[in-house]
Amino acid sequence: MQEFKRKYVIPGDKIVDGNFRPLMNVIRIGDSIISTRIGIAEAGRDGIKVIPLSGVYIPRVNDIVIGKIVDRSSLSWDVDINSCFSAHLPAQDVFGRDFSPARDDMNRELATGDLITARIIAFDRTRDPMLTVQDRDLGKIPRGESLKISATRVPRLIGKRGSMIQTIEQATQTRILIGQNGVIVVTGRSPEGIGLAVKAIKMVEDEAHTSNLTQRIKVLLNVTDTTPQPQPIPSSSVAPSASSEPPASSIKATTSDPGASQAESSVQIAEEIPEEHQSTAAPNSHIAYSSSSPTSTDHASLPSSSTKGSSQEERSGKTDERRSAISPTSGDTRKTRTVIKGVHDEGSKEHDNKEEAD
Amino acid sequence: MSQTRSLIDKQGKRTDGRTAEQLREVKIAVGIIKNADGSAFIEFGKNKIIVAVYGPREVHPKHMAQPDRCVLRCRYHMSPFSTDTRKNPAPSRREVEISKVMREALEPALMLEDYPRAAIDVYVEVLQADGGSRCAGISAASVALADAGINMRDLVAACAAGKVDDKIVLDINDTEDKEGGADMPIAYMPHLDEVTLLQLDGILTKDQFNECVDTAIEGCKRVYEIQKQALMQKYFGNETEVKEEQQ
Amino acid sequence: MSSSKRSTIIVEHLRRQQMWDVISKGKRLDGRALDDMRTLEAELDIIKKANGSAKVKLGDSEVIAGIKVETGEPFEGLENKGALIISAEVLPTASPYIEPGPPDEETIELARVVDRGIRESEMLDLDRLVLVPGKIVYTIFVDCSILNTDGNLLDATSYAVVSALLSCKLPVFEIQDGKVVDTGKTQDPPLTTIPVSITQVRIGDTIILDPTAEEEACMNARITITTNSNSDYAAIQKGFTGGFTREQIKKAAETARIKGEQIRAKLQELTNKTG
Repeated sequence: MQEFKRKYVIPGDKIVDGNFRPLMNVIRIGDSIISTRIGIAEAGRDGIKVIPLSGVYIPRVNDIVIGKIVDRSSLSWDVDINSCFSAHLPAQDVFGRDFSPARDDMNRELATGDLITARIIAFDRTRDPMLTVQDRDLGKIPRGESLKISATRVPRLIGKRGSMIQTIEQATQTRILIGQNGVIVVTGRSPEGIGLAVKAIKMVEDEAHTSNLTQRIKVLLNVTDTTPQPQPIPSSSVAPSASSEPPASSIKATTSDPGASQAESSVQIAEEIPEEHQSTAAPNSHIAYSSSSPTSTDHASLPSSSTKGSSQEERSGKTDERRSAISPTSGDTRKTRTVIKGVHDEGSKEHDNKEEAD
Repeated sequence: MSQTRSLIDKQGKRTDGRTAEQLREVKIAVGIIKNADGSAFIEFGKNKIIVAVYGPREVHPKHMAQPDRCVLRCRYHMSPFSTDTRKNPAPSRREVEISKVMREALEPALMLEDYPRAAIDVYVEVLQADGGSRCAGISAASVALADAGINMRDLVAACAAGKVDDKIVLDINDTEDKEGGADMPIAYMPHLDEVTLLQLDGILTKDQFNECVDTAIEGCKRVYEIQKQALMQKYFGNETEVKEEQQ
Repeated sequence: MSSSKRSTIIVEHLRRQQMWDVISKGKRLDGRALDDMRTLEAELDIIKKANGSAKVKLGDSEVIAGIKVETGEPFEGLENKGALIISAEVLPTASPYIEPGPPDEETIELARVVDRGIRESEMLDLDRLVLVPGKIVYTIFVDCSILNTDGNLLDATSYAVVSALLSCKLPVFEIQDGKVVDTGKTQDPPLTTIPVSITQVRIGDTIILDPTAEEEACMNARITITTNSNSDYAAIQKGFTGGFTREQIKKAAETARIKGEQIRAKLQELTNKTG
């Protein structure tokens, strides 16, 4: 199959005629492959797909998501995962098989309003998604600033092999947890760094479809706020703002158009996953951030985690080896697990004392 | 509905200065309601209509959920200041009927089987009405649904044609609606060549009927171009082609 | 019957903590000071079929107010005054939590509080809107459609009504041969004052102005105070389930006067009605 020019499409647009396999967000009508979404149509080895630029997050098994506890029944917590379906976290997943509502107090572990990182272990057309927090680096998020972006922009935020998100983390000395569902939590030493990281993330969301985004993000991150903060060691890939020519390493991500880099990162990894499905985000493109994924080792070999002296201080040696889905600046993932197991974080004690709106 | 006075002058100009085949000015803005999943604002002549789409989302009450597909809910509502005389905010029978035909006009385009046990809510709010508000509402709703990222087979464009002074004209305005001879709104999926809404109010001979249908569908195609432009503008800026990556 | 309910918006603990932290330092999550209002914008006369209209944006809260003038019978007991009827509807477009249907208790309270502020301050001189005393008067309908909500609908709606009234043109009706006739001429509305509503909420021990939806989800109590152009108080409504100390009430009232002046000037500027 020869190279096929990527196209912008809206629902109903014909992408191509012929005997191609419809992969994602496309349907076959007669002889033609038609787009069902607004996005970028492209052809790969396996067939035709459209990378969508809008749409609610539709859960997929094995996705890592960040959810908010909103309610509970006697046997499970209801979790808002920023989707059209409400997810459930069974109490047994946290307490173990011998969970008993009479004896075990669910509120001690997770209360309404808590944020958790979880993995979707089950979801199909007949029932709501089911979560687990049992894996490494999953569980309650003890601190950080949370925000939401459209799930369709998550691949762009991560960037090719994590390049975009690392650029932001290093320049702002923050740790950014990204859920496939578009929920993000930023932790860092300085409020200014966190604020700048949030600004950069919002810029990526708003301008994901434009070209030269990487360059503009780098310009943004080099502009320091008036409050002094430790400067990250300038890397060779950061373009000085006067230059109009982005350095070679970032060209691939920026000069091609809007979703091209987004599409690109998804095509790279999508080829490993040939199934057809109607997902809103490029499949598993952020797997690098999930501790349970096969490509996380790929990510770990990236130079960034070892070249930046100042940002290294932010991470414990443990988390240097693999990018994990949860690592607060204290760097100790074990602490996160203990929170689930019943030791209160100081923050939650304060919550108990303040008046709650609900 | 028989006319009492002439609505087209000797030069062929209608009450608002248009010729028989002229569409009123149509403008569409996408994504104007911050909280909504998808939204659009349309100005169709003097009609001003805002549509917000929430969905797919959980169904409340739960028992309304369907196991194998999404529930589509549509509400057409006019603000009290939208009409010549102030309208009571409570839903009128006309609004209830229009809500239903709008839902039935949009449903064929949506792939509801992709979202079982969920709901999609389409809220069409008329801020100013001037004849043809249901067509304008459907056209804006399609854009809002695409903006919300809902899987669609095609966009739905809508336009009305009618009989005025015994001539078939495109896109009748408020005066022509009230005083003219016939009014036929149509909603149409341009790629699939399917009519999803068709109503008639008035008397048409067989030839007039055929001409009216053809005229209205012509109008739908023109509206479609504006819908497409609005979406392309919002999502892709002024680009028409994806720039190929440099090696 | 009114019953307590769960909050529909559940604010994450982390976010709530952030809010408390930043408020204790005298700022808010969006960077504002405790007593800063969000940006106020108004677009006038956007509904040509109405006698007057305004689309107001207070931050991301967006409201359209439209005025339709008719004639009718006066209210009972107010036979020599024009009739003013202010209503509001939170459209289901406004947020994921709104369901279509008849207005709920919050929406009705919203409409009535806004109405009270306009009516008690006597913004419109209703004595001048009578055609036949005791029988036929001008009936001014002001209807508000709330398009998008991000908190503080009380103030946003009030500013929309005030902007619409400041910029509207009333028809001139006359009695000819015992019938009401629209002469086709228009007149400026008889205005006496500009009421300004200021809403403040208490979060913990701190009082902040012009809350966003998130701040409202974390509030303990709310107070809306309307002042007129003399900075006298015309209407007050305390809301939500917590209380205020006497000190807090008096301080809030003083803030409402000072801020009221600033917003009044802004509304005049937006409607070209300075001086």
